[in-house]
Amino acid sequence: MISEQGRILESLLSGAFICQVSDEDGWRFLKTTGNSDKIESQLNMLNRTLASAAEGEVYYAAYQTLGDSERKVLTSQFQDISGHLVPLVEWLLLVQQAGGTDVPVTQGTAIRLAEMQLTIEDTPAFAEQLAKISHYKLFGSTSVTVDGQIKQVFKRLTDLGYMLRPNQDKQIYIATGKVEYLYEVIKFIDETESLSLAEQADSAVKQGSLI
Amino acid sequence: MNQNLHQAGVKLLNALSRHADLLMQVYLSGTVDEAKFSPKVIDSLVQMGILWRPDADADLRLKNAVRQLLEGSLHDERNRQIDANIGSALAGLKTLAGHYKEALQNQRFTESHAHLSDLTEHVYALTESLENNVRVLFSRINNEFGYVSSIDAKIRENQLAQSQVSELLTQLEMFRFDELSDIAASNRELRHLLIVTLQHSFSRVTQELSIVQARLLSLLGRFRELRGRTRLLKGFLLHMEHSPSFVPVNYCGLSQVPMLFNQASPVIKPASVDVTRIEHEQELQNLVSAIKTLNRPVKAYQPERAAHQIHVEKQSEVEFAEDKLKKAVEAYFCQIIDTGERLTALDYYQQQNLDFDTEAWLYQVIGGYQGLTSEEQSYFAIEQTGEPHPIYNGNFIIRDVELGLR
Repeated sequence: MISEQGRILESLLSGAFICQVSDEDGWRFLKTTGNSDKIESQLNMLNRTLASAAEGEVYYAAYQTLGDSERKVLTSQFQDISGHLVPLVEWLLLVQQAGGTDVPVTQGTAIRLAEMQLTIEDTPAFAEQLAKISHYKLFGSTSVTVDGQIKQVFKRLTDLGYMLRPNQDKQIYIATGKVEYLYEVIKFIDETESLSLAEQADSAVKQGSLI
Repeated sequence: MNQNLHQAGVKLLNALSRHADLLMQVYLSGTVDEAKFSPKVIDSLVQMGILWRPDADADLRLKNAVRQLLEGSLHDERNRQIDANIGSALAGLKTLAGHYKEALQNQRFTESHAHLSDLTEHVYALTESLENNVRVLFSRINNEFGYVSSIDAKIRENQLAQSQVSELLTQLEMFRFDELSDIAASNRELRHLLIVTLQHSFSRVTQELSIVQARLLSLLGRFRELRGRTRLLKGFLLHMEHSPSFVPVNYCGLSQVPMLFNQASPVIKPASVDVTRIEHEQELQNLVSAIKTLNRPVKAYQPERAAHQIHVEKQSEVEFAEDKLKKAVEAYFCQIIDTGERLTALDYYQQQNLDFDTEAWLYQVIGGYQGLTSEEQSYFAIEQTGEPHPIYNGNFIIRDVELGLR
């Protein structure tokens, strides 16, 4: 039998994000002090180190020392992530608006596809937005129906690890810790490039209310 | 007087139950739709003080007392009122206690009894209202201010609740138990009411309020974080709209790559099943069952599949060896009939110098006999010689067959 530690090591080395939603046991294991040190020493052998983001909500394997080849990998990864940002952010806002609760998607948010589809179909503005989102290269939908588009979008999100479908018979998706990671990335870009995104949004709202 | 009060109360309660439908509608919608109900009913309700008109040209509304009764009994979450007027309630208690003590000193026992029951009523009302306030706060926290939809509204509701909690806490400071114990002095009833009951309720409420305060603060933090995230997302999109060419600097080129973007590439590929391990049998079986054999030999040229000219000729006649065998058996049967003597099949075989396989010959003889009709069979007697198989039980090996006439 494979030990818990071995299982976690394997999933870390296969590039998985471990969070409370995707692998609760593994996440708790890593949270426990002492356990992470054991994993860390094993990861170090392969030039990996245990990294966490979003205040310990997600764990993943990072490079310990960076050579040229590692930098190359990271650069291509970064280009992927920064290219995915706009479609993902648009999608997050669409879900938030269509959900009707004004609560942003966070780790553990459950999304019922059927309900969301109904809301989007009933609201032409949402349907238009979804069509735009689903035709991004990231999602790559060619469908013209809301049904086809939304299913493709959620399928891609599940493949990318942002969503989890706990029961294959039901169209219910749960957001994983990778969504938190996404927020962290945007926050980081906001801070390092000093974009002051929140202030921009605020001033836009104020201008809107003046009109 | 007492009788009158009783009757008036019953009349009021009856009116409430008779017009329950109307009252609930008013409670839910806020005002009375006067066109829907008869003016007589409405007039009588106004006279009884259940409905009232706040302004000459305003709609009729439910009296606050009735509304509070409904809110309290229905545990309605819309109830956001906190009655924090503890100071006046305490002053009332002190006054009543004074009345009671005076009546006792002057030995007016009936009067003192009435004062005591009044005081009891007030003390319990105060404790109930305190507990009610805490319950209302908790119910709002528990559904996370679910009655308002936007995050901003939730934050405002949270701030209102926090101000109510601090108000309640400052009011609770007005409890001066030393004063109360001075008032109660050595009177047992008063001590029980003013000290034991109130202190009990006081300590419970303060304890719960501190929990409420902590929960409210953590909720406020969460709401603020959610709002911050929404702003972040919206701001990002706005920024991308204003400057579509914006691309963040490649942080991976920096000498210190931020951990956030340091994500190792996967190194592990799925392992295979080990055929020598028994634990893997199940997996292996699944794999094997998934194997499909496809027999599609790829050949460049298949001469036998090429087109041929087909010659249609008359087929040469085929004579079946069985026919000869059958005839020989018939001849054997005929010889038995002619001679009338018993003769074994193998003896006949040797006499005639037949060239069939002896086993086939024996089979055919037995088969020939079985093939006869039962009437014909009855003319012949057949006997098999042989022995049972030494190893396999129940098998009988026939060495020869003897045929004769009955």
